[in-house]
Parts: sequence; structure tokens; C-alpha cells
Amino acid sequence: MSSEFRVIGKRQPKMDGFEKVTGRAKYASDFSLPGMLCLKILRSPYPHARIVNIDTSKALALPGVKAVLTHKDMAAYPRWNPSYPILTDVARFQGDDVALVAAVDEDTAVEALGLIKVDYQVLPFVLDPEEALKPGAPKLFPEGNLIGGKPVVVSRGDVAKGFAEADLIYEARYRTPINQHATMESRACIAQWGGGRVTIWDSTQAPFEVQKAVAKALKIPQSKVHVTCEFMGGGFGDKGNPGRYSTLAAVVARKTGRPARVELDREEVYLAAGHRYPTVIDLKYGVKKDGTLTAIQAKVVADAGAYAMFPLAAFDALGCMMSIYRCPNMTGEAYTVSTNNPTTGPMRCVGHPQGTFAQDVHMDIIAEKLGMDPLEFKLKNHARLEDGDQFRKIPFTSNGMEECIKRGAEAFQWKEKRQKTASQAGPIKKGYGVAIHACRHGGMPPGMPLSGMVRINADGTVNVFTGASELGGGQKTTMAMIAAEELGVLLSNVFVISADTDMTTDTGVTSGSRQTITGGTGVKLASTDAKNQLLDVAADELKTDKKNLSIQDSMIYVAGSDKGVPLDQIASKAPGGVIVGRGYMKIPTDVFFHGFAAGFAEVEVDTRTGHVKVLKIVAAHDLGRAINPLTAESQIEGGVVQGIGFGMTEDQIYDKATGICVNPNHLNYKLMTMKDVPEIVPIIVESIDKLGPYGAKGIGEPPYTPPTPAIANAIYNAIGVRFSELPITNRAILMGLKAKKG
Amino acid sequence: MEKERDVSTSGEEQVSGKLRVSRRGFLKGMGVSTAAAAMATAMVPQLEAETAPLVKGIREAVIVTEINGKKYRLAVKSHWTLLEVLRRELGLTGTKKTCDRSSCGACTVIMDGKAVYACTQLAIEADKRKITTIEALSEGETMHPIQAAFVREDAYQCGFCTPGQIMSTKALLDSNPRASLAEIKEALSGNICRCSAYPKITKAVLSLARKA
Repeated sequence: MSSEFRVIGKRQPKMDGFEKVTGRAKYASDFSLPGMLCLKILRSPYPHARIVNIDTSKALALPGVKAVLTHKDMAAYPRWNPSYPILTDVARFQGDDVALVAAVDEDTAVEALGLIKVDYQVLPFVLDPEEALKPGAPKLFPEGNLIGGKPVVVSRGDVAKGFAEADLIYEARYRTPINQHATMESRACIAQWGGGRVTIWDSTQAPFEVQKAVAKALKIPQSKVHVTCEFMGGGFGDKGNPGRYSTLAAVVARKTGRPARVELDREEVYLAAGHRYPTVIDLKYGVKKDGTLTAIQAKVVADAGAYAMFPLAAFDALGCMMSIYRCPNMTGEAYTVSTNNPTTGPMRCVGHPQGTFAQDVHMDIIAEKLGMDPLEFKLKNHARLEDGDQFRKIPFTSNGMEECIKRGAEAFQWKEKRQKTASQAGPIKKGYGVAIHACRHGGMPPGMPLSGMVRINADGTVNVFTGASELGGGQKTTMAMIAAEELGVLLSNVFVISADTDMTTDTGVTSGSRQTITGGTGVKLASTDAKNQLLDVAADELKTDKKNLSIQDSMIYVAGSDKGVPLDQIASKAPGGVIVGRGYMKIPTDVFFHGFAAGFAEVEVDTRTGHVKVLKIVAAHDLGRAINPLTAESQIEGGVVQGIGFGMTEDQIYDKATGICVNPNHLNYKLMTMKDVPEIVPIIVESIDKLGPYGAKGIGEPPYTPPTPAIANAIYNAIGVRFSELPITNRAILMGLKAKKG
Repeated sequence: MEKERDVSTSGEEQVSGKLRVSRRGFLKGMGVSTAAAAMATAMVPQLEAETAPLVKGIREAVIVTEINGKKYRLAVKSHWTLLEVLRRELGLTGTKKTCDRSSCGACTVIMDGKAVYACTQLAIEADKRKITTIEALSEGETMHPIQAAFVREDAYQCGFCTPGQIMSTKALLDSNPRASLAEIKEALSGNICRCSAYPKITKAVLSLARKA
């Protein structure tokens, strides 16, 4: 399919593999600097409490302690919007940051934490977002718990008319839990102050956001903040915001003149880093006998926890539900609510796993009530290319949904398999389910940077400079492949420098399936610019017209001759000694790239134990064009496994009586292991996007979403019990079976 | 799967019990006096001696250990983990810290032929042991075949759990070169990969087991 290309479309192992498999890759937490101080945070043991008094004198007196900071010192340093201080005088969740100790080593820092005396006035707390909306509920902030003061309401057509026209109306409520990103690498960074500026080795998806935040907090120009992140141990959205620890480390480094290092321990990450927001979703859909949707009414209450990083959380879950199915009459209400649960923020496919779970279970139920095959019901209703995004009423730039559904169904043998489940003897039942998903790739708001830089060195090799972070998705390799393709150079001659504010240019946060589009376009345009300059030199040197020249495998050819000139012979003649290409583009407004996906699940339910074994997932994804099919496949597989975890086991649980987390660790927050992984069949659908580089879109986020509703529907297909709440644990299955028996 | 290890040295008592610390070797390594040794054994103060001075316990020890073929004499605090010593004291940062509570496998190293979690071994437990970390697998620019297979199959994403995955794989294939799929899944089920490169990790390890 990609035969017109020499590099793109080939299965290319990632180019930073050697560093990673040999243990030589240096992550933020691996750096060690002479005189480095260890920073530790004192955290609130209560979900809601006022700090009446805080005595740090004993901690400060401990030999080896270099600084102790509290809200009194940090009032001027906001954490993010809402702009409450990084160290707080009111703890709003268990684990809220109360004080910071900087000491010569970890043992001393930990000892000093124990010497800080805090008098707390314990306040009433609220964990349930619906409770938090009631009058008289404990307030986290003076302005109230409903963020923005009123729900966001969107509406199109006439919903009342739509319900009047419907032959069937179905209403139900769905719930999703608190999820943890659980990146393998903790939140870690080191800040060093020197030469009038600060350098931060960070683990971040957003080096330029960290730069801006630190510059603002320390009141220094951006030119004096250097943030760098060559490797990072997972992000999944949690490291997409400027972490408050980067600022704290920079403050301490400036105050003490010594490098300052923060590394949260695992429990701290569970309590105090970001989370996927839990939701309560009410759906009411109207449909005609022939399966035509007449009305969609949706209400999302999103529990943003304390200090929402994402004030429009509920709106995102709503948006994904309302964009994918054709329906003339829609209305939606979104409530994003502050509670004393942990802070929530972006997590892979923000809002979509919650919304899609609710919607595609709902659609499955309606299909059954209509006596339709759920697959046929989806094929009838999904928005086509010409329909555009149903929520925003903006055109799609490409749409491979139909191909995803059809190729997925064929690979899964949907028709044959669904016929098998009519009656099954024995305690173990098999079931088959399907779900679809349209993923609006992370917002490309006006002003989102899109850029890239390419340098052709005198020896003919190429350096690519991209602001994209290498999260593990193969971002660097993708950029190298695009540069090699565009320039006509050998891939082995390209080396990528990424995520460094000194060397690269901002090309947006590496989140929202964005970087192939923003970073990739930036590198492509920069390569075109560099190539143009190189061919000017070549035309001069070879005494021919530029249009007669072409570059292939790092050789320059004059039309009509098959004898090439090695690239270095030309590059070394560049005026000024070097060729620098730059690429940039203003992102058009009202354009959203969408990934499309269909997921199919085969499960086996043991009705005696309630255990669900996921046997197979077929995941068909329209990603525009696969720049690197190998890593695209890896993204699909990884997302599918995380989606299974979201559906079956992952749940960060808080005790209702105390507001304390009962499972803030990798042992009791159940993550998928190798043994839990089913057969996964990734299918790459290439719809060739009209705007993305070479027709590519993104693939980072969407794979997470379809497996969960597909599994829930497969479980119903197996045992005839519906589940409207996640995760679907063994206990939930047994309770469901018991309720069904009556 | 665990092999009996020959860890005794001449004149030393055989390592036994769960802690696997040879007390005599331990105290000898510390170079403490007999009186101090007697105190160290009286770890729990008698109830009737409530007024007696509190025993502070052992704070530091000297261990002798072989890491990646190199012998070390190390002064360690008794609460330090092997992981802390590898990463912080010796700069062997290829071994990663994720959970620090033996529930993820990112810190997996090989101790006397067996894959262990370095976060849950005290450094003093490494006394008289042979330890292999990820740094020992490659030679210069040449990757170990397991490492090459991981790169070829794209059996990693962010790479943070990868050293642990590779060390578990090495411990498995050293003792069971033709491991089956089920045996691979069993041996690697203690290594979490949050990016979930599992399908490709399985593929990489299987490709080696089939070649053997």
C-alpha cells in the first residue's frame, strides 16, 4: 500500500532501542549530580483539613536539612489553574502537599518529615460528585463545587420531537471508577541552578509547558529555563501538565544553590499524581423500529477530584458520545465537580473510555430490544465522512469507520461466532461483543504550536530537532522516518534530538495522539525547506537546473544519469557551512482529526467463580496512514491491554467513612500482567487523511477505548447479565448472576 | 526452577532459612567485637529489663559481594535495599525503581542464578552473593541476544520496565532454554509493563526459546 515510499510504511524497530534494552538510557530519576539535595513532601493524612499551625523548627534543626518550605513560603507559587499554592494551607485530598523538606540525603529528609508538627482542623469531606452538588455539601473552594458555576449544555435539533417520533425509548445510568495512570517511572525531576539560569531534567510530555510554568513561578524569562527529557518512563497523560514538582525543585535549587531532586514514591504517585476522572452518566435514547436514532439525551457528571487539571472533564466524555452516531436531535449536560477525591487530569483518550463504555453498552441493549444485530445497528447509524462530527458539526478530514467495522468483523468471524451462543451447556459460557469509537485527537486549539527543525551536516548526515517527547510510542523514529523520506536520505543517517527546550522547538504537548500530526508535519516541512536549500547548492555545484535533481538513499542524481553524487560532497559546499530547514504551520481552526476504531471481544465466563477470561480482541483502527506499522501495532496492542484493565480490574478505591485510599500500590490496584493478555489482532486501516503528513493521523489514544464496552457486551452475550458499572469484577459477575436467578 | 546454590565458603556456616544471611559472615564482615556481637544477638530486650538501655540494633554493615563479575566490599546501612545500593551507591541505574514493594518487577536482577526483586532484598542479604544486572548483558556496542530480540520485535515502549523484563527472561532461559509459552508467561508474570508491550515481549522470548 505504501510502495510509493522508500522509508514510510516499513516496519522499523525503534531507533533508541539499544539505549533502552541495555539499561543505558538515562531517565530523570537516573541522574545524579554532586551536592544534590533530596526533596521529600509532607502529605495530608486527611481528605479535607485546615492547617491551623505548622512547626518546622525541629526539622530545620536536624543536621543535613537545608530547607523546609510550607504554604507560608509558597503562597506566590500557584499549582495550576485554579491558582492555589503548590504547598497548601487547606488539604483537599488525602496526600495533598503540605510541606517540603530538602536534605543532603533521603534518610535525613524522611527523618525531617517526621519532625514537622502540623495541627490539623479536620473538615467534613465529600467523595461522591452528586452529593457534592447538593446544597450544604462540604465546599472545597469558596466558589462552590460545580466548576464554572453551571453545567455546560449543548443542544441540536428538537429532542422532545425526537422522543415523540421514537418507537422505543431506553434510559439507563452508567458509572466508571477512579483510574491511575500507573506509569512505571514515578514523577521525578532534578533542577540545577547555575550560570544565572535553571536546568531541569524532567520526566514530561510537555517540556515547553514546564519551561513556561517555571519561568512564570520564578519570575525569570523563558530563555533562562532549560527543560530536557530524552527518555521518559511512561506518561499516559499524567505528565502532560507542568508538574508542581518541577517548580518546587527549581525553587529549592535557587534558594540553596545546590541541585535539587524530587522522586515521588509509589504511594505518593497513587495519591497525589493525576487520575482518570470517574463519571456518572445518564443516557436516554429514542429510536425507530428500523434502527434510526431519533433522539439522544445525555448527562455526564464527572468527579474532577480536588484541583481539577481539566475543568472541562465532563464535556469531553459527552463530546465523544455525541459525535459518532447520526442523530438529528441531541442534548447534553456536562457537570464537572470538585470533590475530596484525588486530583484528576488527562489520561489516555480523555473522557472517551467513560463515554464510550456507557454509549456502546446502551446501543447494544437497544439493538437487542429492536431485534437487530448490534453490528448492523452500528453500520446503520455511524457518522460517515460526509456527515462530519455530529457534536461539533465540523467535517471529518477522513473516516475509515466502515472499513474498521467490516474488516474487524471479518477477522473476528462475527456472524459465525454470534450464532454459537444461543444455548450453551455447562458452567463456562462464551460470549462475543462489539463496540465502536470515534476519537477526536487531542484538541488542536488555535495557537497550538506546530514546528520542526532539520539540519543537514557537512558529512551529509541529518539531525532532526523536535519538541515531541519520546513516550515510548516511537515518536523519535517516526520523525526520523519522515525526515528520511522527505529528504531522500538513508534512515541510518538521521539522528533525532527531542524534547529539549534549548535545542528543539515547541510542537505541542505529546498527548492526544498529536505528535505524528504536529511534530510530523513540522519535521516534514522543515525537511522540504532543507532539501530545497541543498538542491540550490547542488544545482550550483553540478551546473544544472534544480528541477533536474533528485535525492535517493543519500545520493543526489541528475536526471538522465544513474551516477549519483554522495550527499556530503554537496552538503559540505553549503554557504555558511550548514543547512538548516525549518517547518511550521498555523493549525487551521475548526479542524479536528479523528481516529476511528472497531473493537471485538471474545470472552469466557466461569459462572461458578465469576471469573471472566478475555480470549481474543480484534482491534481495527483507522490511523490515516501508518508511518511505522510496527510501532502502530504496538500502540494498538498496548492500548487494548490497558482497556481490558479499565474494564475488568482497575479501581482506585477510597473508604467512604474516612476518605482514605485503601489500595495505593501496584499490588492492590490490579494492573494487567502477561498472564491476563488475550490473543490480540491489530488491524491497521489507512483512510489517507487529507491534512495529516502523508495522510497520517494519530494512534496513541484510541486503542484504549473500544475493548471495555466490547467486553461488557460479550459478557452479556455469554451469561445474559448487563453491567453498567466498571470494573466488572468476579464479585460483580456473581452478584449479577444471583440477581438474574431472582 | 530455583537451583540450590553453593554459597558456602570455607569456614563459613551454610546459608539457611528465609533471610539467607549468614550471621557469622555478617558479623565478621562488620568487624565488630565479641561484645557487640553478643549485643546484636540480643535483639529483643527482656520484659523484666525495662529499665535497661535500649538496644539500638545494627545500623551499618560491611558486605562482600560480586556484582557483574566485579568484587565489592561495601559499607551499607542495615535498612538499605539492594536496589538502593545498586542505583545510588554504585550508579548502576539500569535497574529501575517503580513500586519499591516487590509488586512490579522493574528492579529484577539475577542473584545466584535466580531472578529476584532488588527492592525487596536488603543489601546485607547480598553478602557473599553473585549478582548480575542489566549492565552486564551487553558488551560494548554488542547486545545480548535477548536484548537484540527485544529491539527487533519492538518488545518495549517507554523502556522503563525493560531491564527487569530482560533479566527475568535471562533467568528463565538460563535454566530452561526451550521454555514453552506457558512457562514464559509464568516466569514473566511478575514483571508489569504498563505500556503493555506484552504480546511483543512474548514474541521476542518465544523466538529465542524456539531457536534453542
